[in-house]
Amino acid sequence: MSLATAEKLEDIKARNKALISEVLEVYPEKTAKRRAKHIGTYEEGKPDCGVKSNIKSIPGVMTIRGCAYAGSKGVVWGPIKDMIHISHGPVGCGQYSWAARRNYYIGTTGIDTFVTMQFTSDFQEKDIVFGGDKKLAKIMDEIQDLFPLNKGITVQSECPIGLIGDDIEAVSKQKSKEYGGKTIVPVRCEGFRGVSQSLGHHIANDAVRDWVFDKSAGKPVPFESSPYDVAIIGDYNIGGDAWSSRILLEEMGLRVIAQWSGDGTIAELEATPKAKLNVLHCYRSMNYISRHMEEKYGIPWVEYNFFGPSKIAESLRRIASHFDDKIKEGAERVIAKYQALMAATIAKYRPRLEGKKVMLFVGGLRPRHVIGAYEDLGMEVVGTGYEFGHNDDYQRTTHYVKDGTLIYDDVTGYEFEKFVEKIQPDLVGSGIKEKYVFQKMGVPFRQMHSWDYSGPYHGYDGFAIFARDMDMAINAPVWKLAKTPWN
Amino acid sequence: MAQNADNVLDHFDLFRGPEYKEMLENKKKNFENAVPADEVERVREWTKTEEYREKNFAREALTVNPAKACQPLGAVFAAVGFESTLPFVHGSQGCVAYYRSHFSRHFKEPSSCVSSSMTEDAAVFGGLNNMIDGLANSYNMYKPKMISVSTTCMAEVIGDDLNAFIKTAKEKGSVPQEYDVPFAHTPAFVGSHITGYDNVMKGIFEHFWDGKAGTAPKLERQPNETINFIGGFDGYTVGNLREVKRIFSLMNVDYTILGDNSDVWDTPSDGEFRMYDGGTTLEEAANAVHAKATISMQEFCTEKTLPYIQGKGQEVVAFNHPIGVAATDKFLMEISRITGKPIPEELAKERGRLVDAMADSSAHIHGKKFAIYGDPDLTLGLAGFLMELGAEPVHVLSTNGGKTWEKRCNELFASSPFGANCHAYAGRDLWHMRSLLFTEPVDFLIGNTYGKYLDRDTGTPLIRIGFPIFDRHHHHRYPVWGYQGGLNVLVWILDKIFDEIDNNSNVPSKSDYSFDIIR
Amino acid sequence: MSSLRQIAFYGKGGIGKSTTSQNTLAALAQMGKKILIVGCDPKADSTRLILHAKAQDTILSLAAEAGSVEDLEIDDVMKIGFEDIRCVESGGPEPGVGCAGRGVITSINFLEENGAYEGVDYVSYDVLGDVVCGGFAMPIRENKAQEIYIVMSGEMMAMYAANNISKGILKYANSGGVRLGGLVCNERQTDKELELAESLAKKLGTQLIYFVPRDNIVQHAELRRMTVVEYAPDSKQAEHYRTLARKVDANIGKGIIPTPITMDELEDLLMEHGIMKAVDESQVGKTAAELASGAAA
Repeated sequence: MSLATAEKLEDIKARNKALISEVLEVYPEKTAKRRAKHIGTYEEGKPDCGVKSNIKSIPGVMTIRGCAYAGSKGVVWGPIKDMIHISHGPVGCGQYSWAARRNYYIGTTGIDTFVTMQFTSDFQEKDIVFGGDKKLAKIMDEIQDLFPLNKGITVQSECPIGLIGDDIEAVSKQKSKEYGGKTIVPVRCEGFRGVSQSLGHHIANDAVRDWVFDKSAGKPVPFESSPYDVAIIGDYNIGGDAWSSRILLEEMGLRVIAQWSGDGTIAELEATPKAKLNVLHCYRSMNYISRHMEEKYGIPWVEYNFFGPSKIAESLRRIASHFDDKIKEGAERVIAKYQALMAATIAKYRPRLEGKKVMLFVGGLRPRHVIGAYEDLGMEVVGTGYEFGHNDDYQRTTHYVKDGTLIYDDVTGYEFEKFVEKIQPDLVGSGIKEKYVFQKMGVPFRQMHSWDYSGPYHGYDGFAIFARDMDMAINAPVWKLAKTPWN
Repeated sequence: MAQNADNVLDHFDLFRGPEYKEMLENKKKNFENAVPADEVERVREWTKTEEYREKNFAREALTVNPAKACQPLGAVFAAVGFESTLPFVHGSQGCVAYYRSHFSRHFKEPSSCVSSSMTEDAAVFGGLNNMIDGLANSYNMYKPKMISVSTTCMAEVIGDDLNAFIKTAKEKGSVPQEYDVPFAHTPAFVGSHITGYDNVMKGIFEHFWDGKAGTAPKLERQPNETINFIGGFDGYTVGNLREVKRIFSLMNVDYTILGDNSDVWDTPSDGEFRMYDGGTTLEEAANAVHAKATISMQEFCTEKTLPYIQGKGQEVVAFNHPIGVAATDKFLMEISRITGKPIPEELAKERGRLVDAMADSSAHIHGKKFAIYGDPDLTLGLAGFLMELGAEPVHVLSTNGGKTWEKRCNELFASSPFGANCHAYAGRDLWHMRSLLFTEPVDFLIGNTYGKYLDRDTGTPLIRIGFPIFDRHHHHRYPVWGYQGGLNVLVWILDKIFDEIDNNSNVPSKSDYSFDIIR
Repeated sequence: MSSLRQIAFYGKGGIGKSTTSQNTLAALAQMGKKILIVGCDPKADSTRLILHAKAQDTILSLAAEAGSVEDLEIDDVMKIGFEDIRCVESGGPEPGVGCAGRGVITSINFLEENGAYEGVDYVSYDVLGDVVCGGFAMPIRENKAQEIYIVMSGEMMAMYAANNISKGILKYANSGGVRLGGLVCNERQTDKELELAESLAKKLGTQLIYFVPRDNIVQHAELRRMTVVEYAPDSKQAEHYRTLARKVDANIGKGIIPTPITMDELEDLLMEHGIMKAVDESQVGKTAAELASGAAA
């Protein structure tokens, strides 16, 4: 299917246009008008991708998006390993997000770390009617009693909390006082707030600012500062991503004093204001706290991309540019060290993947960040979109996508299916809800949230796995079996 | 550098390399402010004690690692059992993303469901507009034959009235007046996923039988000879319903499976995505009122539905997820009694084969102690089968089990000498189970995927039977009902037992004298 | 069940809604009707005069104790009072916490599922103040109350509330069967009260069912936690309530879909009757000091 080179740009754009209007036909007029603003074709030279974003999803269309709770508990706070995160409200939210995101960590679960556990206040009717504050207070007491080595507690609000007007801030303050100043963080991430996970990230960032930074100001850190201290911001260590990133930063001579938030601890959060530079991977979910640290503590931040050797090298040099020659040399040394591995990986996989077309639909940063990795393998991303991106994401995307790329924001199940059906990519990268739809259609698929239970994909070590996995998906013999031979 | 293009190391091996180990040790030492190892060890040991168990069981407010989900999940499960039916969940959209993911992870299948995407403004003004727009969009885009509406906790707290909203939406032309939009209120803060299943099943029957929310005449029941069958919320629905259909066909029974999601959650990979597949037709759902009787395979999944059906004049019979010989016997004999159809020789032979298999293997199971957790009916079914095998279901725990369930368990224990030392734990969670496994150890644990944490912490080998199963593939395609199903459960248990024996007898010159080639 | 008549009393807090409803229902009971009162006010004082005591065991308080509402029996919550009137209080949280509206939904579902409505002629819901959220609208959903009686007075806020409640009824009237039965004016002895109440009723497309005059005997009876109907059956006031009861009973099927009016129309109405002065637009948004200095200039 590597006809891409043969296809003329105008043809692609015309096809996209026709495809978009065809897809919009299914909607009632009002919905078609609204959806039309979210779908388009990237035109080279434009400052963004020409689509609207971060707007309410339309009822009934089968959006792929989640909620603010997912953004806070599932993404930002959940991976902090030595704190206990209470899913506050009915049992479901905590249950469905229980250990589902593969935030790897080292620790003795249930004793000093708690990431893969589900702590819930399991709200009952009486808690709704009479309010849940007393129960919450009691829960905190029971946590202290049964999990004495926890280093802090967060309250992750589910929908009812905001609706019934519980005062979780008061409970948190009161209990923190009782326990001698323990960090207890109330998070107002009720699922009905905002339009997607995105507001949950923001609320969670603000909670770090208000309930961790402000509280721990002046508290001594357990280490001597060095001029090379950096913090990794916005890596959730899915399948070990933060580890295969951290190792590169350390190899180039930097010292990583904190990981946010994959395999992270409250001590690392508290120490981050001591960093000389914040290196930010997931811009979408943690730009807020990075900006805050810049304003409040004067810590500069730099975005980086550790997918694929081209972007890794570019990013290592960009990070190094904030430091002295020692680090700059370190960056070059690291790039050189992995040169052979990268060359071997590309030599092995590129011939099997060259010219293959990919369509993406993911969250945070991946709809743009992974494009470089595909291109390193000779593949082409022909369509991409964000579950919960904002306009600044689409602006950043222009540095990655080619002229004529189909762009779809907050895509609906129907649209995505139709786009793939018509464009016939060789691979779709999206989430668990999409995986089986496309596999049934005979289209190879990789989950690009969980790395389909593989990973890490970050860093040089991760790229080898990425390349192997993409090859495995596309060149699996099973796809040839879908059709009966007798027809 | 351990990574190698010819032998790519992923997370299993990569991080065990010395450079990563050193990096992670340094992270811990310098930046994590970690609890000293001996203190971690002290607390870890303490959590194994009787003292800890007592504290743990004294918990009143906190739930840790529960084995239950919320009503709306069961609502979606029930809805997709009907022909070309789109579940429509009125409330926050994040919930729907969760249900879809949850089912896809278990069944390895697509799971289609829409939300009315209520946000902050709907919290204040009510979600009527979301219902009006949502129904119109879903109807036009996904062309369902029926839209089954349920709620999330958000819509329930603000008190949205589904009946009125759907009527208004129809008046506004979202869907045609005569279009089927059954509904059920399914608050997440009441009961569990099995309650949601019950509410939606009842809602769908009320819709068809009681005059479609006042838009059609009520159906007059004209009794016929068919029987209805309701499976309940069941992780093995694909294998189980197919097995039940096979059994009914063998018996020549005229039946209707109500809520048949065995096809929609087992669609082929042949180049076509089937958003809908199979299912109880709407006509069948309506005609089910005329049936002679309704069989529920899971009493606690149909606590409201069955009495409602009984109120229509049908005989109703409920089982507790029957597994094994006696339970299947009882099931078949009830079917035979109700329908007047004899149990065919074919099934008697299948029965004999299961008994044969049990006789062959029982020596390896007899006297073994088990802990079980899961939904109320499943735990009863499994406990019954274990006792039949001469094993003891010492701890039987159900987070969504109540007093009636506890009573059923105690009756079951009392029915067999193997139940003498067994105990039912209603409303408890897997952190309670952890204490039980430390203070009163057993040989094996039966439960869903989350049991792997208990396996790891307590060393009790986990046999995966339940919902959800995320980390083993395809077992949901096998039945656990019928004699064939009993055989499957027997084999799953035996496989684990034999693997354990082998793993415990494979150290050369120490234990490998027991590493027998024949068992 | 088919002859079951379900009505509801709504009205602004403090208007005398519970007093009016209990006296009316007591009179209906004396007419031989079997009555069930469902108090839907978290204060749980909708049955106090019938029971001679504030109901202690509300559905929600007992459910909270027992764990969940499923653990309750109907006998735990149903009390029998004057003239065998069955009384249930939904109860609910203290002001400022939780969700009282959800409590109303829970309670009514519980009562229906447990057969509380069997064998009665009248179910009467006594509902807090305004329609404040979906939960408080529960009694006007389909297959619940057929007629709503709004208790009001000639005070401005009571009239606002009556109009708002009408809006709530209108919302449900189209899809369900609920109708506005009429207004009951509980005299506050404001200016032109009867005239005003009648005008409002007319604007809303309904009738003033009854004008209950003010009489201190109501307070005397209340001090003894009794209805006037029981405390002083021969009093004039008791006769007023009996008349009201007869009118309500005869009002079956005569409810209407209300035509609530806009704020401006309501204000015009009040001005028309001299209750509210016409607003001098030039003075809107001016502080007292500004007005004073303006006047001085």
